Order: sequence, then C-alpha cells, then structure tokens
Amino acid sequence: MAYFAELVVNGALTGLMYSLAALGFVLIYKSAGVPNLAQGAVVMIAGYVVWLLFSLGLSLFLAVILGAAIMFALGLLTERFLLRRMVGQPVIMIVMLTLGLEILLRGIGPGFLGAAPKSLDLGIGLAPIIIGDVFINRAYLVGGVVAVVMIAAALLFFRTRLGTKLRAVSDDHVSSWAVGISVEKAIGISWGLAGISAVAAGVLWGSVQGVDWTLSTLLFPAVAVVILGGIDSIWGVLIGGLLVGILGSVIPGYLDAVVGGGTRDVVTSLIILLTIMIRPYGIFGREDIERI
Amino acid sequence: MKWIRRSVLATALIAGMAATGAATAQEQPIKFGLLQDFTAVYTFVTGEYNQGQRDYLTLINEEGGIDGHKFEAIVRDTGNQPQRGIEAYNRAKEEGAILFDFLSTPVSRALVDSVLQDAVVMITPVHGRGDASDGETFPYVFPMMATYWSQATVLAKYIEDNGGLEGKKIALVHIDSPFGREPIPVLQDLAAEKKFEFQAFAYPSPGNEQSATWTEVRRYRPDHVLIWGAGGGQPVSVREAIRNGIPAENILSVVWLAETDVANVGSDTMKGVKRFEAVSTGTDSPILQRIKEKVVDKGLGAGDAKNVGTSYYNIGVATMAVAVEAARLGLEAEGAPLTGAKLKAGFEKVTNFDAEGLMPPVTITAQDHQGGGAGRVSQWNGEAWEPVSEWGAAYQDIVTKEIQQGAAAFKQGN
Repeated sequence: MAYFAELVVNGALTGLMYSLAALGFVLIYKSAGVPNLAQGAVVMIAGYVVWLLFSLGLSLFLAVILGAAIMFALGLLTERFLLRRMVGQPVIMIVMLTLGLEILLRGIGPGFLGAAPKSLDLGIGLAPIIIGDVFINRAYLVGGVVAVVMIAAALLFFRTRLGTKLRAVSDDHVSSWAVGISVEKAIGISWGLAGISAVAAGVLWGSVQGVDWTLSTLLFPAVAVVILGGIDSIWGVLIGGLLVGILGSVIPGYLDAVVGGGTRDVVTSLIILLTIMIRPYGIFGREDIERI
Repeated sequence: MKWIRRSVLATALIAGMAATGAATAQEQPIKFGLLQDFTAVYTFVTGEYNQGQRDYLTLINEEGGIDGHKFEAIVRDTGNQPQRGIEAYNRAKEEGAILFDFLSTPVSRALVDSVLQDAVVMITPVHGRGDASDGETFPYVFPMMATYWSQATVLAKYIEDNGGLEGKKIALVHIDSPFGREPIPVLQDLAAEKKFEFQAFAYPSPGNEQSATWTEVRRYRPDHVLIWGAGGGQPVSVREAIRNGIPAENILSVVWLAETDVANVGSDTMKGVKRFEAVSTGTDSPILQRIKEKVVDKGLGAGDAKNVGTSYYNIGVATMAVAVEAARLGLEAEGAPLTGAKLKAGFEKVTNFDAEGLMPPVTITAQDHQGGGAGRVSQWNGEAWEPVSEWGAAYQDIVTKEIQQGAAAFKQGN
C-alpha cells in the first residue's frame, strides 16, 4: 500500500510540474487558436536565460524575475514578428511555423550557451519528506506547489479586465475586433504569459535535471496534459497534469517489472490516443459545434 | 658517352620527380573525420571530447608530425542522425579522410557496412557496439578502449574485490535504450557465475524524471547500484539514489559521469560516488603538460582552456593518441601515403601503448580490436576523481562470449 501511495503522490507532483509546461500551451491556444509546438523549446530557453542571469551574479530571485520579464518580452516579439505575419494563412502552416521555431530555439540555446548541462541549484534539500513508508520528493513538492499557484493565478487573471478581454478574443476574434478589443495585443500578451509560465517550468525542471536541450522534451508530456484536460482549459491543465502524472507513475510502477521497463511513454501515448478517439476536446475542453 | 649522359640525366629526372612526389605526399595531411553530434543527444560530451582530439592533433603537428606527416581534423555535426552522418561521411571520405569517429551509437551502427566496404577505419572508443571487438568480423572497426560490456565487468570486479559479490543484490538502473540495456547479458552471466542477485530497472529517455523507478529500486534493497545513463539523466539518477537512501559509496556509474554532473548534483552530495574510468583525469600526464605548453598557451587550442584535463577532454586526447600511434606504425611498416588499409594494419600493431601514462596499456591485434578492455574505478572525493583501483580488465571470458555471439549474429545478417 505504501508503494502505491508513493507512486501516486510523487506521480501527482510530477504531473503538476508537467502542467507548468502545459499552461503556456493552453494560454496561447485559448487566445490565438494555435497549438504551439515550440513550447518545450521555450521552456528550455527560459531555463537557459535564468541560468545565465544567475551565473552572472544575480540572486536567484532577481534572476527569475528578470528572466520572466525577458521571456514575456520574447513572447511578445514572437507574436509580433512571426505569428502576426501568418494572419489569414492555413492553421497547418502556423503549426509548421511553431515546429520550425522549436527546431531553431533548440539549436540556439545550446549553440550559444554551451551544450553541457548547466547547474541550477535552488537550494532544495535532497532528503525526502518521509510519511510512514512513503518518501516524498521535496523538489517535486516545491514544483507541485508552484504549479498550483501558477494555475490559480491564471484562473484569477482571466477574471480581471485584461483577462476578460483575452476570454473574449478566445471566443471570437471578429466580434472582439468589432467591440474595439485589440486582438493582436491580446494574443501577444498570451504569448508573453506563456513565456512566464515557461520560466517556472524551466527553472523547476532545470533544478532537477540541469539545464540543457532535454528540457525541450517536456513538450511530449505537456501535450498529453492538454489533450486529456482540454486544450483550451486552465482547469484541464490542473486535472490533466495530475492524471498524466499519476497514471505515468502507477502503471509503470507495476508493469515495468513484468515487461522489463519502458511503459511510461506507452502510457502517455495511450492517454493521447484514447482521449482523441473517445473525447477529442478533453475533460474540460469546449466542444465547438459548427453548422455545416 | 652520349647514352651515358642521357641515362644520368634521365635517372636524375626520375629521382627528382620521386623526391617531389615524396614531398607532395608529406605535404598532404593525414585526414581524420571527427563527424560527431554537437547539437542533439551527445552534447554533454562532444564539446570537451572533440576539443581534446583536436588539441592533440595540433600538438603532434606543432611537434613536426610523424616524419613530417601532419594531421588534419575534419569536424562536422551529425546531430546524432544516421542520415546526416552518412552524408558527412561521404563528403569527408571524398576529401580524403581515412579514419572516422562519430561518437554516436546510431550513426556508428549505420555506417559499419560502409567502412567495411570502403576500407577506412572507424573508431568507437567507450561507445558503439561491443561485438565490434571481434576484428575478424569487423576488420575496420576499432573500439580500442573498454566497451560497455568490459566497463560492467570492471565495476563488478571492483565490488568483488571490496566486499565480494556472492549473496549480494546488485541493481542496474538504466536508461531504456539499447545503450542502457547493453550490460544486462554480461551482468546476468556474472550473477550466475558469482552467485549474486541481479535486477535491472529501466527509466524512460531522456531521464529527466525517474522517481517511480527509484521507488522500485528502494524496495529491492540493493547492496550496490550501477547507473547506466548519460547527460541530464545521470545527475537525476544520483540524486534519486541518495534520496532513496542508497549511500553514495554504493553507487557506481558507467563512464559517462563527469565534472558537469558533479556541478549539477553538488560536489558534497556526489562525494563517494564511483565510476568506470577509461582515461586519467587532470593535467598531470606529460601529454597534457605538452598540450598546455605548446597548444593552449600559444593560443592554438580548439576551445575553452578550462576544459583541458577534464574527463571527456582527456578521453578525446587518448583516442587521438592511439590513432596517431597507429598511423605511425602503419607508415613505418607500409610506407606513405597512408591509406585506410595501412592505418588498420597500424592499429593492429599497437602494443602496450599507454599514451605516456594517460591510459591503461592497450594492445590491439587482428582478433581483438578492443585492446584488452582495461579500465579502473575512480571515486569523487569532494574535489576530484580519485582512482580507487588499479588499471585492469576483468572477466574477459564472459565479455568474449558476448562478443562472439554478437559477431556471429552480425555475420548472419542480424
């Protein structure tokens, strides 16, 4: 029982950390309707930026704050100089653009800052929190708490004036234009906010594994989270993250010993496939019904 | 008299042409294709490793080459992609490269048939397929250092010599890839022979999240844990092992654990962790001293001077030291110009070569392209990797069995 409980708890915390990468994905999709395949690479760049600022002598707190500002600005610039030019183009070409951006960013980070993994020590102790026979990973606990705070902040943000405008944009671009909302500005802000959530993901995952190109591979679990939770739902990020994390921990925890390992990626893939087949808009996603 | 004068003139002309030809041959550098992965999976090692290789070739050139023959490194990125590797290989081959180092298991595997057909040398030091140690099946492929199989046996021997293997529980925690699974058959055979319990635990690639795997490992209560990963997965393995109550002293790693991993995990946390070592670390050896003096201090280095003497830099130096020695022996025995076939012959004449104490003595024969499979175990002492065993090979009978099985399967087209 303790074994099962430990798999559930650490899986849930890991899943919440995946949610941090998934949050940026949802923020962009909600406003622009674009699945940003570069979000994993954006997380990697955010990790590199904070590591660079930290290694230049800034305190960790300042490095994270300044890193968030830089990533927000990079998000705005991405929208202004790449996405805005694609207005009126088929969605598939915009998706291809984000794929190209992903490849570009994955080359730029290691290319300019060195390919060896960089250390990003947050000062979180290695000793686990032990409850009964259950060992809880402190780094994942901190990550899980940060994820919940970020998701709560995102939910609250959508209740503010600016957030309401973003919701309007996510509902209908044309109507938003008609009532005087700057759709371009709203989409730019959502790219900027995705940059900020990438900082949280990049720093927390970077502290666990070091900052290197492999941070960009967080895209895969992040995609599973948003597909399961609903690609346009902040609540979906929370619940989808928890489910992906728990299933990705518990099932391999029992199956790996039987089949010799390697089942976690299979579980994640099955989550994606089954969700798309059974409930394509995810648990909390909005089902758009269109008149044909 | 006229015919004598003509003969003398003709002889002089031929001699002059021959001399010019020889000079031209010496002006043509010996080209090595260092076509490696600078941008994808092997980025954790390639920068320092390649820098060490180039700095060593620069040192040899600065010292006059081998009887005037100088070396040129052709350096290109393959991104760990076999398609790009094949393209880079074909270009470098056309440019005259006779030795190739891809430092990538998938690229090396994709090009085995090509190098065998083209009669050029491929080196696969501390990576690549272990069965390529069989020189009769893979005449142009040279692992030339301990393969992953031999690394596993050296680590097992260390445990045997320090508390014994019998009755112990050994866990292998590995990345779920062919590289990660490589030591399993050797460790299974050893477990049967030495009567210890062995279990393998896989974690998914790239290894940034391993918590569920380590929960299982903790329940298994191993006496020793071998970690078999690379790059970002390695610091995660060490942290998770310690978090799950496994003493640092009982963690032993494949060769891919170095200074960057220490920085990531934290020097104090890493204290006590052991690893397989193929080449000495640091700048104490005469070759490293000469590199500092004649290459780095003169501004001829191929990268950041602070990398000189690191684990992966020194492995790079050692690989080129063996290759240059093979070139020297090939030229000595078969004369210029050096071809792939002559270089192969040179490799198979390398005897007890230790790169002036930088590495264990390597003896390569036409049958054994691994060179003996020696290495040692070193331990992080808080400041440096300190050797805790002597250079040596272990349980090569078991390794040889694996080599023969793999080579036989290759011959049958599997």
